[in-house]
Amino acid sequence: MTRLLAMLLVVLCPVATAADWDLQQLMASLAKVPSVEARFEERKELAVLAEPLLLHGTLTYRAPHYLKKQTLQPYPETYEVDGDWLTIVTPEQRRNLYLPGHFEVGALVESIRATLAGDLATLKRYYQVRLQGSPSAWTLRLEPKESALRDYVSAIEMSGQQDRVLRMETLEASGDRSVVTITPLDE
Amino acid sequence: MSKSRAVVLTWLALLALASGLALTTPVSTDLTLFIPAHDARSALLLEQLRSGPATRLILIGLEGGTERQRAASSQILAERLRANGHFLQIANGSEILDAAAQRRLDDYRYLLSPDITPERFTASGLRSALQQRLRELASPLSPLVKRLLPADPTGEFLAMLQLWQSDRQPAKRQGVWFSPDGQRALLLVETRASGFDLAAQSQALAVIRQHFADARQGLVTLRLSGAGVLGTLSQSVIRSETQWLSALASFLVMALLWLVYRSPRIVLLSALPLLSAIAAGVASVGLLFGSLYGITLAFGVTLLGVAVDYPIHCFSHWRPPQALEQTLQDIWPTLRMGVLTTALGYLAMITTDFPGLAQLGVFAISGLLAAAAVTRWVLPVLVPPSVAPPHWAVIQADSPWLPLLHPPRFVALTLGMTGLTLAVMLLLSAPPLWEDDLAALSPIPSPLVKLDRDLRTELGAPEAGHVIVITAVNAETALQISESLAGRLAEPVAHGILQGFDMAARYLPSQRTQRERQMALPARAQLAAQLQEALQGLPFKPGLFEPFLDAVTQARTASLVRPEDLTGTPLALRVSSLLFAQAGEWRALIPLSGVQDSVALARTFDGLAGVHYFDLKAETNRLIGAFRDEALLRMAWGGALLSLVLGLSLRSPRRLLLVLLPVALAIISDVAVLWLLGKRLSLFHLVSLLLVIGLSIDYSLFFSRPEQDLQRRAQTLFALLVCSGSTLVVFGMLAFSTLPVLQAIGQTVAIGILLGFLMAWALAQQMATPPDPASERH
Repeated sequence: MTRLLAMLLVVLCPVATAADWDLQQLMASLAKVPSVEARFEERKELAVLAEPLLLHGTLTYRAPHYLKKQTLQPYPETYEVDGDWLTIVTPEQRRNLYLPGHFEVGALVESIRATLAGDLATLKRYYQVRLQGSPSAWTLRLEPKESALRDYVSAIEMSGQQDRVLRMETLEASGDRSVVTITPLDE
Repeated sequence: MSKSRAVVLTWLALLALASGLALTTPVSTDLTLFIPAHDARSALLLEQLRSGPATRLILIGLEGGTERQRAASSQILAERLRANGHFLQIANGSEILDAAAQRRLDDYRYLLSPDITPERFTASGLRSALQQRLRELASPLSPLVKRLLPADPTGEFLAMLQLWQSDRQPAKRQGVWFSPDGQRALLLVETRASGFDLAAQSQALAVIRQHFADARQGLVTLRLSGAGVLGTLSQSVIRSETQWLSALASFLVMALLWLVYRSPRIVLLSALPLLSAIAAGVASVGLLFGSLYGITLAFGVTLLGVAVDYPIHCFSHWRPPQALEQTLQDIWPTLRMGVLTTALGYLAMITTDFPGLAQLGVFAISGLLAAAAVTRWVLPVLVPPSVAPPHWAVIQADSPWLPLLHPPRFVALTLGMTGLTLAVMLLLSAPPLWEDDLAALSPIPSPLVKLDRDLRTELGAPEAGHVIVITAVNAETALQISESLAGRLAEPVAHGILQGFDMAARYLPSQRTQRERQMALPARAQLAAQLQEALQGLPFKPGLFEPFLDAVTQARTASLVRPEDLTGTPLALRVSSLLFAQAGEWRALIPLSGVQDSVALARTFDGLAGVHYFDLKAETNRLIGAFRDEALLRMAWGGALLSLVLGLSLRSPRRLLLVLLPVALAIISDVAVLWLLGKRLSLFHLVSLLLVIGLSIDYSLFFSRPEQDLQRRAQTLFALLVCSGSTLVVFGMLAFSTLPVLQAIGQTVAIGILLGFLMAWALAQQMATPPDPASERH
């Protein structure tokens, strides 16, 4: 019985490490990216709206803790994360949010920031992380660990090529979904 | 022989009776002793001090270990405490509304939300709300906010939650409150019992410690603060230090007495008058007042320090083969006069309105009389003639101590002039002598005071400092007054005079306000039309807002929310601690935080009936100041009475002067020395001065006895040296205590006794020293 178990382990372990190694590889290559400048387009399909909501704007990332999502249309709005603080700026007001105090918000922020930073430890704090595909076309599927977030979001899928994140799809528990397409601006 | 047996039996019977009474007399740690009877405002204040919500808070900090361990400990501790019945609320940031409570409160949103106005439901009001919602849908956080949209497009539920959240809540990490630097997880616990119910508080603290032992993760440690925590701590600090200090002092006095008398029996018998006095004091107060204040007991026992001297007088004057009974007959007139005058001095206290002072007077008088009676009638029966003091205790005619019996006139003059100079100096400079801040006497070490301040700031917990109390005939009136007050408080908050306030009306508006909000809600058809207009050109799905129309329609005719409707929600506890019925009236409390200018703030409430604003610290200090003034006045009356009786019984103006002058000079010099040492005087100093007066009078009376031969004067000097020596030992020990209160008592008495003895020795003996035939006549 124990021998069988040992054999099973021997057989299974290389597989496990291979998959893990790929994830480590991806994360390591993402971690080397010092900054990203990109345009984004977002399409939100929401049950409460008769038509999809279309947005576009710019994304700025500086490793490892700074991320800005600036929506230009239809509603000018900036989400800026630096370290533990999220700043939301609209034409009317400016709000600061301390991320460690807001678990769900922090989880949503880290889905993209920790992915860009190649920070697997942080991702794993909030999500079950699974990698599919090859380096030239990979998809990282993030499933919330905590039910507090699972009530809202069933999964987030980040996809890209090599060390570039090109797409982010959020699948909500309600059936709503949003797709963000990211186009890096190459210097 | 049968007579002496009768004496002992009577004494034993009385002692048993008194002890029985004493043991059944409840001791209260109440502050009412400082408050004159029939003072309504003060009674209201006291009620606040005793049971105000701020006094019930226990502040908890969890330190050490990792952040995760601190957070987990906080979670587990909070869960366990919530399951326990000792606490009104336990907050650590993790409280989530359970689904049922959330639904109930959500149902009340059109009555409880602060933003309900007619404008909100017009087409333009609705349109701006809908545009706001649309913007939220576009945000990356939309998954978290859109669930409420169909039934609540105007965002009332969130407006309500925002209003209820404390303005200064700590930031959260890992789902629970943490200090800004993350080093300390924070919890706030409210006990059911008042912070001044120290027994209940220490029980609550034990419960917290016990649950923490189970909840503890890794190396996390528990830090506690709050009124009850500091109260129980100071009680135990005082108790333990008092215990070992008094044990040490008793040992030293017994050692001293043994050195002098060389008889264990005499040493033990010397304690009988004091013990009888304490039993008599407690029993009399119990009989007359029904209960005894803890502080009266402490002060009373201090004052009974005089009674320690009675057996010393008796044994020191004993000169075998003379019988002890004979010795007592000799010194009794002097001793009796000392006892009676001291007791008379306390008599004026008994008639005061302040219960604490009256109790102290009764305690001291009955104690002194009991001690004197035991010394006079019981001791001679209990001491067998075989136990004679050693020969050397009797000063012979060739003793080297002899010059001490003739204090040179220049010594008397110097001491007298020094005393007078100090008196004049005090009078001329009229320095602020009194310490009115009770905190200065607190035994709490400064690191703990700092911890309390830190935790309070981090938690945003109200200090027990400032509170507005509204009294009204019913809850509705109290809430209406609160609401108009909230309007007036907005201005001081805007000006920075006041940081914030809490009130029941914030969670539960008055019925009047709720009715106004109900009136602001349009009828279904009208609302539907206005909503239709507002939705023009917006992408919301048709029919999406049916639940909204339903909810508003329902709210228009819903019954108004009453306090009992909140039962089961987290609001119930908040409201019931801020709004409650008491003594046939309703009270609404408004704790204030960050008061910068209490005078300007008080002006805000001018002309509002039933509104009382208390600066608790200032008020407490004012009460204690008034108590002290009353005590001083009573002491003055006592002094006058004492002088009168002394003058009548001495029948010699010269001797009266020689008795009173040393006492007066000793007291004045004592105060002056304390002042020169940089001390401010408190009640504790005042009581100590009373003891100094009592002792000094005895010294002066004995030193100034006329018709004494050299031998008797030598005995008197010897007796008074032993008396003052033993008193010095006891109170000198206290003077080195780390507790400000004991230190105050110790220093005052030790310095006073030294001065009292010197003054009496140098001045009062002038009566006996010069061979003055005129005064030798009785």
